[in-house]
Amino acid sequence: MARKMRGKAWVFQGLLDVDVMCGSYDVIRAKGLMERETSLGKYAMIGVDPNFPNKVQKGDFIVGGESVGYGHDHDHPCKAIRGAGVAAIICESTNANFLLNCIHHGLPIIECRGINDIVKQGDQLEVDLAAGKVKNLGSGAEIEFRPFPEFILEMLDAGGLFPHLAQQLKAGKIPS
Amino acid sequence: MGKTISEKILAKASGRPAVSPGEYLEVSSRLPVTMGVDMGRGPNQVEELGLSRVFNPKLINIVDGHSGVTGQPQAAEARRSIVRWARKVGIPEENIYLLGRSGIEHVFAGEKCWALPGECFLQATNGHTPTLGALGAFAVTLSYGSGGYLVTGKTWIKVPETVRFDITGNLPEGVMARDVFEYILGQIGPTGCAGQVMEFTGPTIDNMEMDARFSLCCNALFTGAWTAIINPDQKTLDYVKKRTSEPFKPLVSDPDAQYAKVYHFDISNLAPQVVPPPERYIVKPVTELEGMTINSGFIGSCANSRMEDMIIAGRILKKHRVYPGVILNITPGTPNIYKQALDEGLIRIFMDAEAVIPAPACGMCPGRNTPLAAGDVCISTGTCNYPGRMGSKDAEIYAASTATVAASCIEGRITDPRKYL
Repeated sequence: MARKMRGKAWVFQGLLDVDVMCGSYDVIRAKGLMERETSLGKYAMIGVDPNFPNKVQKGDFIVGGESVGYGHDHDHPCKAIRGAGVAAIICESTNANFLLNCIHHGLPIIECRGINDIVKQGDQLEVDLAAGKVKNLGSGAEIEFRPFPEFILEMLDAGGLFPHLAQQLKAGKIPS
Repeated sequence: MGKTISEKILAKASGRPAVSPGEYLEVSSRLPVTMGVDMGRGPNQVEELGLSRVFNPKLINIVDGHSGVTGQPQAAEARRSIVRWARKVGIPEENIYLLGRSGIEHVFAGEKCWALPGECFLQATNGHTPTLGALGAFAVTLSYGSGGYLVTGKTWIKVPETVRFDITGNLPEGVMARDVFEYILGQIGPTGCAGQVMEFTGPTIDNMEMDARFSLCCNALFTGAWTAIINPDQKTLDYVKKRTSEPFKPLVSDPDAQYAKVYHFDISNLAPQVVPPPERYIVKPVTELEGMTINSGFIGSCANSRMEDMIIAGRILKKHRVYPGVILNITPGTPNIYKQALDEGLIRIFMDAEAVIPAPACGMCPGRNTPLAAGDVCISTGTCNYPGRMGSKDAEIYAASTATVAASCIEGRITDPRKYL
């Protein structure tokens, strides 16, 4: 994953609940789809916008409000959102389990207080994960967030926790 | 500058002198990590990495308590598969708690004091791990990262801010810790503590027994919080020392610790609370919903399956019968609770009332036994009220305290329990 990314903002307002809004838990569970990432993209955010998976372009961003990923520690929406091509989620605050699950799935999620003050639907953004900056390329407005430490950037570079562990195993950095 | 109990525990778990909110830390724990039987993703992740080892087999406990006794064949398959894996990676037999010696993971872990004051406690996959914060531990779930922890014995966290809740007032008769939590949730809403820690303090908490404190912490996630915690006091220390010989060093928040916010709630006049479907965070006093017909009741789950719950259910159900056409499922959280309820004559009271008493497990809360059918209306101490949680998506779930569920099942409609006490 690139540490510096550009894409379009999809702004979602209100509470984004993990099960219904971010990903359709019932559908995903009923169909036994939990383990197949690529097939989950078509369920991303359909609880809020049924057409989102068709509209979103690879590399776009989701911009949300407070408590994004609210609810249980279910991680199917992380897969769904990443599967739909979303490059990162930027929000005012998130559910901590959702934060870990997104990063472990290779999907950066950035808590950035004030992001909704500088971004509106459709804006082009530039996100720098290592520097901790979001820039609105249209308005030029910039906002900072606490940059990810190297161990998380490496995990994101690898595509998530398990690809990262597999790399470390191969390199003999952790015992097999 | 002072530190909160959570910051102190996380500093210790990451080997740093001090930590502050927002910092990313790699952490480990000397405590056992627990996992359920039917959530075998951690083991699957380990196998997918091509490994047949774990970081320390002695520090893994497996608890068959989510499905429990059920007719679902997949539960039996999951049991076989995790036991096979556990033996392969060398997890000692005594760490594998199968049916007959198992119960609800969080209740069981609390009873065994696998979580200890002043330590970081991790469970594989389960949003209700905050229950164990009642012991003064920083308790969180590993979730999708479980397999990584099983391999390396390490995880990471972003140090959360803490919100303090000072609770004052004597709990009125018929009002339980569950009502206190639901009331707070109703007041602060689903974004009230996003990604933060709920720290409960004040005279009301001091007066609560441990069973009530576990119940209070159990559902923290519905305020958006990552976990909940209570500073250990003499009651906590006595509880822990009675149950384990493991040494521990309790930590408490400094008086000048920094909080993101401090709330004060006086619960002296609190009424029992009910959470109607489908939202988990819109909470009403029972008086607003009284009279609503129900045909199902559930007393159990990591929130309300302890002795305190058995005792109040017994007080209310004694000399009464469940209303015709209503099924009341009362599931004690662990074999010990079941035995104690038996010794105290409570199981007899429940059976005389014509309630059904399944073996200890999460059971009905996630619809693993006596699931709801379309059209059913259930009043439940289970953790969640969203459609589909306990069976059919077309059933309704009203979340409430043990006392409210017991009273409602006598009358076949939502009932204020205070008149039965």
